[in-house]
Amino acid sequence: MLVDPSRDEWSDLLSKVGMEKDKEAFSRLFAHFAPLVKGFLMKGSSFGHELAEELSQETMIKVWRKADSFNRQKSSASTWIYTIARNSRIDWFRREARRQRILEADDLYEQAEDNPAYLSLVQLRNQKSIQKNIKTLPQEQLEVLTKIYYEGKTHTEVAEELVLPLGTVKSRIRLALKKMNLQLEAEEK
Amino acid sequence: MAVRLHPDADQLVDYSSGGLSPALCVSVSAHLHFCDACRLRNDQLAEIGGVLLEDVNPELLGECALDEVLSKLDENTDIASKVVTGPQDVEPELAKLPQMVRSLLPDTGPRWRFLSPSLRVSKIPVGETRYELSLHKIKAGGKTPDHDHNGLEVTVVLQGSFSDESGVYNEGDFIVRRPGEIHKPIASQHEECISLSVEEAPIRLVGPVSRFLNPFFSFNPQ
Repeated sequence: MLVDPSRDEWSDLLSKVGMEKDKEAFSRLFAHFAPLVKGFLMKGSSFGHELAEELSQETMIKVWRKADSFNRQKSSASTWIYTIARNSRIDWFRREARRQRILEADDLYEQAEDNPAYLSLVQLRNQKSIQKNIKTLPQEQLEVLTKIYYEGKTHTEVAEELVLPLGTVKSRIRLALKKMNLQLEAEEK
Repeated sequence: MAVRLHPDADQLVDYSSGGLSPALCVSVSAHLHFCDACRLRNDQLAEIGGVLLEDVNPELLGECALDEVLSKLDENTDIASKVVTGPQDVEPELAKLPQMVRSLLPDTGPRWRFLSPSLRVSKIPVGETRYELSLHKIKAGGKTPDHDHNGLEVTVVLQGSFSDESGVYNEGDFIVRRPGEIHKPIASQHEECISLSVEEAPIRLVGPVSRFLNPFFSFNPQ
């Protein structure tokens, strides 16, 4: 059985896929991340086994194709793969709604290479702090946060589903972000 | 110049988690292009997704999943060889817009419609019914008709600046207007202003010319 490499090693593997199109490295990433992506998609209420399987394969193919845009200075492998899975889910919803599929989710999101002058300060340290603090969130905050992330629902949709005032959902999220040391309020200058 | 107006935390969270509607998604992306502070916030929010991804119970894939995927890896590799052309070849002034916005415009350039002597608008189809996305261009010093909104309106300044009764807005500013907030944007004197706008429902023009102009704002989702 494979020994789990630490997160840094996942980033090594992903960089290797990006630079050398290394299928061996890809296979190891697949073994670790494909089941996580599938689990992630099934965590929400919308996806059954079959669909989650299809979308997690689609996600991993995109991981292969886009790996050269992975920047380890900017994010960890898991965060980067999360955004790919998120976009696959958006695309599925849009296909499903039978809307004209004019654009893909990738076209709607800002791409890092669009602004080369920018260098993010967020690195693994940040992720560790989120990881630690997320475990200490009160259940009601965690519930709202995971609904939003696992199911891709908006604040408004979560409020309707849980029969809560929108303001309550917003303040639970803000409290959760604060507990994870994420400062998101834009201060007016 | 530092960006002054930003999306609020809820919008950034919905953006990061994938729930935001496509048109609003584009407007937040356009803002991020200009705003390092919000990029940082967005990166932090994506980290939550990364942490939650690592935290789920893995679900085994089918036995042949890896083989199937490996067999597809070498298909369709034309993504990298995409020719870099765009609307800026037709309208050079568009070259300064964020790449992600340019890529949403046709290579033959936006199809502008004249809404008034100083205002041109071009719709950007994003395939949704609730919000409409469009590019607005106001001539230097140009005034636009007073307008009100039936729903939310978000404007992101992409080039130049404009002002209204409440202030001056510069590149990257993310301006949210709600129903009842009538305003009358005027471009700055020295250069034209290009902005991205998301409208929830048709804009209502108020004032004497509205009767003639309103049909142009008909809500026609793609």
